[in-house]
Amino acid sequence: MYQFDWSSIPGALPYLWQGMLRTLQITGVAVVVGIVLGTLIAVARLSKSSILSNLAALYVSGFRSVPLVMVLLWFYLLVPQIISSLFGQPGLDIRLLSAFVAFALFEASYYAEIIRAGIQSVSSGQVSAGLALGMTSGQTMRLIVLPQAFRRMIPLLLTQAIILFQDTSLVYVIGLAEFFGVAYNTGNRDGTLVELLLFAGIVYFVICFAASMIVRSLQKKLVS
Amino acid sequence: MVSFVAGLDWNIFFQPAFDGSGTYLRFLLIGLAWTILLSVTAWILAFVIGSIVGVLRTFPGRLLPGLGAVYVELFRNVPLLVQLFLWYFVLPEIIPGLGTWFKQALNPLLQQFVSGVLCLGFFTAARVAEQVRSGINSLGRGQRGAGLALGLNLPQVYQLILLPVAYRIIIPPLTSEFLNIIKNSAVASTIGLAELSRQAQQLGEFTAHWYESFIAVTLLYGIINVTVMIVSQFVERVTRLPGYLGGRK
Amino acid sequence: MISIKAISKWYGEFHVLKECSTTVSKGEVVVVCGPSGSGKSTLIKCVNGLEAFQQGEILIDGVSVGARGTNLSKLRSRVGMVFQHFELFPHLTVIQNLTIAQCKVLRRGNREATEKGQRLLDVVGLAAHAEKFPAQLSGGQQQRVAIARALAMDPIAMLFDEPTSALDPEMIKEVLDVMVKLAQEGMTMMVVTHEMGFAREVANRVIFMDQGQIVEDRPKADFFKSPDTDRAQQFLSKILSHGVQT
Repeated sequence: MYQFDWSSIPGALPYLWQGMLRTLQITGVAVVVGIVLGTLIAVARLSKSSILSNLAALYVSGFRSVPLVMVLLWFYLLVPQIISSLFGQPGLDIRLLSAFVAFALFEASYYAEIIRAGIQSVSSGQVSAGLALGMTSGQTMRLIVLPQAFRRMIPLLLTQAIILFQDTSLVYVIGLAEFFGVAYNTGNRDGTLVELLLFAGIVYFVICFAASMIVRSLQKKLVS
Repeated sequence: MVSFVAGLDWNIFFQPAFDGSGTYLRFLLIGLAWTILLSVTAWILAFVIGSIVGVLRTFPGRLLPGLGAVYVELFRNVPLLVQLFLWYFVLPEIIPGLGTWFKQALNPLLQQFVSGVLCLGFFTAARVAEQVRSGINSLGRGQRGAGLALGLNLPQVYQLILLPVAYRIIIPPLTSEFLNIIKNSAVASTIGLAELSRQAQQLGEFTAHWYESFIAVTLLYGIINVTVMIVSQFVERVTRLPGYLGGRK
Repeated sequence: MISIKAISKWYGEFHVLKECSTTVSKGEVVVVCGPSGSGKSTLIKCVNGLEAFQQGEILIDGVSVGARGTNLSKLRSRVGMVFQHFELFPHLTVIQNLTIAQCKVLRRGNREATEKGQRLLDVVGLAAHAEKFPAQLSGGQQQRVAIARALAMDPIAMLFDEPTSALDPEMIKEVLDVMVKLAQEGMTMMVVTHEMGFAREVANRVIFMDQGQIVEDRPKADFFKSPDTDRAQQFLSKILSHGVQT
């Protein structure tokens, strides 16, 4: 029978907490930038200009056809080169910056699809009504369509944020230590990998399960 | 941009790989083969388990749907990478007997592959289950009632009436789950399985031709995507029912 | 043939059926009507066990529907049912819809089942459509196929749950014609419908339900001439002035 040894966890808690803050930091940046950029891409995708629409489609399908692991590796290759050619060698945490950029751009492609579906779920009669009142098509989108679309999309946007929260663990592949990375490193150092991995799994489960329950009850409220 | 493209050296793919397996082109194609083998094997597992769990969730009563829900929540709320490490590092340690056999009888490559298949299979099954469930539910209670009213028993109703239609309805979401499993298989690079992403990194590390390597691998993933989409559209066309537009509530 | 004894049913707090009792004898046609939400569809679904009930008993040909030992599948295979939304199986052709239960439940051979199916398609006037898929037929045609599908099992009785209420007006007649013919041939039928013309033509008795109760259960002539209750009277005058709307 395996003898569990949980002794290395209490001492590691401050580091795990720091790791969790970093996880939340990456998640937060990616959600905010992803939704803003995703909205622009979704609007471009639905615009009458075929150039804009095709570029947006290319962006979305491009990011969605590549594994997140590859996207992270790509930006860990690109970001340092771009930074050094622009600013020389600044004192930035290059791994963290690469992760920010990679997640923000990657998530934008997923958010764009959610937002596009949301926009399309608003009836065309609403657009006509806005235009008939003398609004420009930009005003109609901003004042009439998007507010309705976002209200409907909130549960989906949040669910995507939960997935993103889980996906941040993949920054492991570029050697960045967020919550999961800290847990893994601690376990590896102390020879308690089994316990630390189980601990990480339980923490993720509790957070994500609770969050998805909240999203579900929110969804019920929005429907009724 | 132009100078960047001109600076790339594509001849690298025709030079011998560091591990003596042939050229670097062959090196990448081996990665491609592992990616496909891993994804397809895991998909079969995901499809079978996902169908069972999805069907359970639509059964009458409380117990079986509840068990199905527990499965889905468990596998949906833990990151894929964590699940992979649990399969690869943790389970062989804490399961008596089977774990020891896993560590001693299997060579490292097989250990990586089995862990990858189980991880991706069980993970994706939770998502397949949700699709199967929503497919069955979209048929409404009427079809079930009609089957039962003719004297078919519940397994027959599922096998003959509900599932054949539900599977047709969920071909598009199942396709994107299959594409997901291919993309997710890249996570297996973290435990050292020589699939496509792993080979890309190795190629970059040993030759310093990072861009050539990443561009080639990104294109390969793109080609896999397009191929799967075409196959899926073909399957959808062949199985389409004349005049039928999908489920209704 | 069918005897319903004091059955009651609750959905949580909501009392859907309140001590309903009635019988349908062999060869009898009973029409069940009433405002929407009165429980008439629920009642008819209880008869072949598609809906469970908490109190009372239903016997079909002497077999209790709700009892533990009852083989429900076998019982259901002997009672035909026609649904409001047809519920043909969309992935099977018309003839396959007619043969699937014959083969899988009654264990008939494919050839025998197909012959039987073809004969019944002929009866409902759709022999030419055997190889089509349900979605390629009109609503009226689909419902006639559904009737043929139920008849293919050689049922001892037929249940109809609002068979014409999902149909466009011009298709109602073709379905009613088939049902009238069936009634005249002596089939035992329990029909939930608002088609009072059908009731007048072939029903033996009319049951009027309201708020989960059987309010009236009388021979057709009596019911139409002078309903006992105000509720039935109001319902009748509404139906007559507004046509088939519920």
